[in-house]
Amino acid sequence: MMGRNGYRNRVELLQGTLDMLILRTLQWGPAHGYGIVQALRTQSGEALQVETGSLYPALHRLERQGWVRSEWKQSEANQRARYYRITATGKKQLAQDLSRWEQMVAVMSGILKSTPTE
Amino acid sequence: MNWRFEKRKDELDEEIRTHMALDIADRMGRGESREQAEAEAAREFGNAALIEDVTHESWRWRRLERFANDLRYALRALRRSSGFSLTVIATLAVGVGATCAMFSVVDGVLLRPLPFKDPGGLIEIHESGKKGPLSYGSPYLDIDQWRQRSRAFSQIAFYNSNIARASFLEGTAGALHVGSATVSANLFDLLGVHPALGRGFSARDAGNSVKADDEHSLLLSDAVWRANYGADPGIVGKTVVMNGERFSVLGVMPRGFTFPFAGSNTNGMPLVWKPLLLKDEDVLRTHNAAPYYDALGRLRPGFTLAAAEAELKVFQPDIVKSYAESRDRENANSISLRGYAASLVNGDVRKALFALMGASALLWLIACLNATSLMWARALARRRELAVRSALGASRWQIVEHLLMEGILLSGCASLLGLGLAAGILKLFQHGLETQYKIHESLTLNLPVLGALLALTVAGALLISAWPTFAASRTSIDTALRQGSPQQGMGRAQRRMRTALVVTEIALSLTLLVGCGLLLRTIYALKHVPLGFRTEHIVVANMTIPSYKFAGRDMTTALYQPLVDRVKHLPGVESATLLTDVPLGNTFRMIFTLSPKGNSADAIRRAAIEAQFRAVSPEMQQVFGFQMLRGRFFNAGDTQTSQAVVVVNRAFVRAYFGDDRDPSKILGENLVSLGKDRRALVVGVLDDERQVSVAQSSLPEIEVCIPQITPESMFYKVAEGMSMDLAVRSEQSVSLITPELREALRTASPDLSASTFSTMDQVVEDSFGSQNLAAHLLEIFGGSALLLCLAGIYGLLSYLVAQRRQEIGLRIALGAQQWNVMSLVLRQAGWMLVAGLGIGLGMAYLGTRALGTLLYGVKADDPWTAGAVALVLLAGGLLASLAPARRAARVDPAEALRAE
Repeated sequence: MMGRNGYRNRVELLQGTLDMLILRTLQWGPAHGYGIVQALRTQSGEALQVETGSLYPALHRLERQGWVRSEWKQSEANQRARYYRITATGKKQLAQDLSRWEQMVAVMSGILKSTPTE
Repeated sequence: MNWRFEKRKDELDEEIRTHMALDIADRMGRGESREQAEAEAAREFGNAALIEDVTHESWRWRRLERFANDLRYALRALRRSSGFSLTVIATLAVGVGATCAMFSVVDGVLLRPLPFKDPGGLIEIHESGKKGPLSYGSPYLDIDQWRQRSRAFSQIAFYNSNIARASFLEGTAGALHVGSATVSANLFDLLGVHPALGRGFSARDAGNSVKADDEHSLLLSDAVWRANYGADPGIVGKTVVMNGERFSVLGVMPRGFTFPFAGSNTNGMPLVWKPLLLKDEDVLRTHNAAPYYDALGRLRPGFTLAAAEAELKVFQPDIVKSYAESRDRENANSISLRGYAASLVNGDVRKALFALMGASALLWLIACLNATSLMWARALARRRELAVRSALGASRWQIVEHLLMEGILLSGCASLLGLGLAAGILKLFQHGLETQYKIHESLTLNLPVLGALLALTVAGALLISAWPTFAASRTSIDTALRQGSPQQGMGRAQRRMRTALVVTEIALSLTLLVGCGLLLRTIYALKHVPLGFRTEHIVVANMTIPSYKFAGRDMTTALYQPLVDRVKHLPGVESATLLTDVPLGNTFRMIFTLSPKGNSADAIRRAAIEAQFRAVSPEMQQVFGFQMLRGRFFNAGDTQTSQAVVVVNRAFVRAYFGDDRDPSKILGENLVSLGKDRRALVVGVLDDERQVSVAQSSLPEIEVCIPQITPESMFYKVAEGMSMDLAVRSEQSVSLITPELREALRTASPDLSASTFSTMDQVVEDSFGSQNLAAHLLEIFGGSALLLCLAGIYGLLSYLVAQRRQEIGLRIALGAQQWNVMSLVLRQAGWMLVAGLGIGLGMAYLGTRALGTLLYGVKADDPWTAGAVALVLLAGGLLASLAPARRAARVDPAEALRAE
């Protein structure tokens, strides 16, 4: 049993970052929902467990915005699964989000790492 | 939409299942047992249903889904109480049907836009004087003066539209009956409508009469072009034959264009237009020498009707100075203007329509009140259900949504049903609508009618559901759940509300019924006016006369006499007569004035006499049974060679002598000449009869005998060639005699077979006019209102009795007699009725004033009608409350108290 502490050890996602992570994951190639969760977990060194309750609404929202497209295909395990694929507009959006994110990180760390001067 | 939604839901389901399956497979691959893997996967996944819900929201279809849910729920709730739903739907449908039918009539008659450019600026110009506005038009010289002097009008056109009389336009398949109007060159330009093919008439000069080059040309309407020439695109320039005369086609007007506007006297015939060329007599100033034209002006922007009228009134006395005779000057020394659109519908019709529209709106309101009362009762009965729903987490807004959805559903169904009812009502009154309002189409679903229907639906839904919803949303869950039996449902305030609803219903119904009663009395009075002639067993044929075919021949001997002789010998025919127009027929009217002799006061008064003119056969008296007051009627001895004679009526004598003390004094007087040196003597005086309408008393009349009229007579051209009715007295049924008559007419001349047939009874009925139609419609509206109102009383009392069962049981247990219990209920009914009738009488007093001019033989505030109607409602109301009262009296005290 993981209990409450299990959750505490995980990284809480900032608002809007999930979309970016999903798009980034899909840049490696089409994947189904479970695959995305697993990929994020592995890449984060088990630190990031994406809630399915956030993942699926996010995927459907991205699809409505035209950033991803989905189709039903057979998975490796011979299971019919819905595969999501990033679209050209999705890629553009991701590049934009990334540059904004980097900007923000730079600004934030500039403030957070500065030593207070008297 | 919905199936797509379902499909996506299924897909999401599958997606989640796949996710779980992959997870389980992974875990099992890592060596977990199946149970363990399944449990872990499910735990990690979380609440699948919640995830589905959240995902649905991201589709933005959540609202739609909720709407669908509401709809499904409402449908289920309504189906469960189908009796209730059907009652509400039927109730509302009655109101919607009546209102929708009346609105579509009003829309068709009053709101239809005229298909002309800026129709508000089109003004009819009439001269007026001692006798009021002149309806027969103005001579060219006057019209031209207005054109030259007026600044208020940018253009003035004139036309002669004797279009009630058929012209015969020869085509590929026989002659087409068309109406032909003679128009000035600028008329179409003034209307802002231009020929779709070819060109219009060109003007001779600034006066706008047509150039002589265009004399034998013709403009076709689109309808004629299609019907007679198969929409031939090369028609312009071709020669066509109308009434035996050759015309070359100058152009074709656009589709849908009619002028004078359809609905005036076209008898449904398609139109053609002839050029108006001036003749020598157009510039004469002697009495009746110049032809009269209808004048139509276009207001210059910035001028009002009043300003234009004031302007013309300044010139007019100067213009009429050129008239040769003083009586002409006196009759035309002023001006009266009227908007063209307004002239198409006379004031009485407008009033009748608004009164009926108001009546139907009242009926709708009554229906809504009734439905509200029903919905209320239901909302109270469902209070516990709603409380349970809100205890389970439904928000107040969700409950309101549900109830509104039910209201919309009920109202929507009612509107559909009402639409059917409206079509039915219009079908039922088709004949009346055609003769009274010239509406030929049935229910047309155009934009205004659909808009009105939608408005009624939404307003109805809000009316019937808003109030109960408001009440329901305010109920606290706690009390509703704790209350033991639904019988305690209604609080005092709510009971008062429902009572107020029923009282209002009674008041509104009384208003409607008083209006209905007044019109029924009007019809009764009209039906009992002594007409002065018999109407039963008379068939009337209104003939379309191809007079051009008899040019150069005497129609009397060539057509009319042989026709009458033939018809008289048909089996079953007692007698037959020709006459220019049957009494009350209103298809042809000719006014006759006497020429003055000398300058005495008497002579001047006589010159002012306007008499109805009628040419008849000697057999007319046998057919119609007119009473002779003095002298004799025409007989077989009155021929072309015998002494010329005329017959006048009593009203004529009265007008001629100033009184009618001794009508025989007029016998032997010479009033008119039937031709050169054929001075006609008065040989008889007819008793009074109704000529124009039943409600209008007898007008002076002068009659001539058809067999005496020769082509040389001035009466020949105006009477015989224009309009002739054939009236036949026969004991045979109308359906038997009509085909025989049609055949006889066809044999006499093929063109006569298109004549229209009617019966004298029908002619009389049609002449009651608006009253008859309004009375029949109000009968339906009033009857429905009465039924709804009684149903409302019954419903409320039944509910109250059910609610007070325990109290009543207790009373009976304590010794109350049956009668005591019954009077308890009846007293309640009596209260509502007295209050409702009191308010209703006040409303009726104010409301029936709108009927004013429609009434005949009864006043709008007639106390007898109001009293009788109130009594009927009172009796009906008490009758409706008898059943609940008896139910109350039969309550078994043991049973009622046990339920506690």
